[in-house]
Amino acid sequence: MIDIRELRYAYPDGRVALDGVSFSVAAGESVGLIGPNGAGKTTLFLCLSGVFRPRLGCVNIAGLDPADAAKRKQLPAKVGVVFQNSDDQLFSSTVAEDVAFGPLNLHLPADEVRQRVAESLGQVGMIGQEDRVPFQLSGGEKRRAAIAGVLAMRPEVLLLDEPSMFLDPRGRRELIRLINGLPGTKLIASHDLALVRDTCSRVIVMDAGKMMIEGPAALMKDVQLMEKHGLETPFV
Amino acid sequence: MLIELYANCMSLNPEHVTTRDSWLALRDARWRLAAFVIAIVGVALLRQPGPASVALGLAIVLAIVGRVPGAWLRTRLGLLLFALIPFLILLPFTVNRGERLWEWQGLAITDAGLIVAATLALKTVALVTLAFTLLATAPLHVTLCAASKLGVPKLIVQLVLLTYRYVFVLLDELSRLRVALRVRGFRNATSMHAFRTIGQVTGTLLVRGSDRAERVSHAMRCRGFDGHFRTLTSFHSKPADAFMFLLLVGATSGLVAWDVLG
Repeated sequence: MIDIRELRYAYPDGRVALDGVSFSVAAGESVGLIGPNGAGKTTLFLCLSGVFRPRLGCVNIAGLDPADAAKRKQLPAKVGVVFQNSDDQLFSSTVAEDVAFGPLNLHLPADEVRQRVAESLGQVGMIGQEDRVPFQLSGGEKRRAAIAGVLAMRPEVLLLDEPSMFLDPRGRRELIRLINGLPGTKLIASHDLALVRDTCSRVIVMDAGKMMIEGPAALMKDVQLMEKHGLETPFV
Repeated sequence: MLIELYANCMSLNPEHVTTRDSWLALRDARWRLAAFVIAIVGVALLRQPGPASVALGLAIVLAIVGRVPGAWLRTRLGLLLFALIPFLILLPFTVNRGERLWEWQGLAITDAGLIVAATLALKTVALVTLAFTLLATAPLHVTLCAASKLGVPKLIVQLVLLTYRYVFVLLDELSRLRVALRVRGFRNATSMHAFRTIGQVTGTLLVRGSDRAERVSHAMRCRGFDGHFRTLTSFHSKPADAFMFLLLVGATSGLVAWDVLG
């Protein structure tokens, strides 16, 4: 479902954000992308979603190559990104309008969009909140509304960037339940290794733009490895 | 001071007072917007106190019909009148025609000056009442969608929508910065240090705003945004919408005719 080969991306100021990253994720798999700040996790997501154009390397995600302009246009229908800060993602005036934003951009008929809005809000437990204004939502509600906005596009691949950021323990627990109940392939970038442990079967460790190691979630038991890459084992 | 500014801006948010079931709120937003814009322009043109008084009366009737919460409206009108006080005090002294009612050391209050001041106050309160009634009878995005349907450039509509959405986020950031300053001992003062700090805070806000704009743009592109805002809001005209429009436009025309001819 996701196949990345020797991906390299540098910012306009020359800073290398991704340096020869290669890995694959099978359909239906839930994989954790872990690493310290500046490891390149968010940049990788932006490359996978076609926002950033890598200089070198090959990407194939949900059968599409983001480097190809025609295929890039089809990416939003197949790849959903949940950003670190939900305020960046909830830009419409009401929750319903925001959830409808993506499906409307897919030129779906209004009735189907309404049906998808209702379904997605139901999936994240936000039925009845359609007319609320995003800035009045709590952190957990914002996160759920942001996820609903992505689910409404029915993506085959979900990229979740620091999904537990700004959430209290209750919100975090609800999020773990929600993520585990979501269909499709998931790539979860997070510092919250306990969340990764509870939602992913495999992890990929990144540091300084490079992929260091990949393996089963039990890899996070290796205290030395975690400390070497600025992380802490969630297995106590 | 910043907290007060923040609180005031939050209270400017009309969403929580939007009435959805009043006769005015049930009208098609396009007809309502067109009628209110014409009414606002008409009232702005008035120059006589008689028509201005009637305009204020009609604006209050519309606010009642639109079930605009009285306390919410009164608070804002009170603030507006407070801001108008300097103009209302100065105006009677600045008009030299008409009968001099009071004179001291070369300063004179004339009856024409008092009439101009009263007309200004009546017109302003009427205009703002109309504007708040318009805002309170539909969610802002519905009114802006109606504006787009009426030919207002989409770019302007999008900018207003995004500004409205993110002004509160920026105010939140400002509030956090203010707390960060206070806990490190900063107090507002007329000193170079204070001016420099305020400048730095403004710069920080601008940089953060710019970063956020970039992230929002990424999020929009990831959800297929191609430069066109699409919405689920749909409009359906009924005879009552045209009736409301004609009623309001007729009343406005009558007031303007009375003002010009009377």
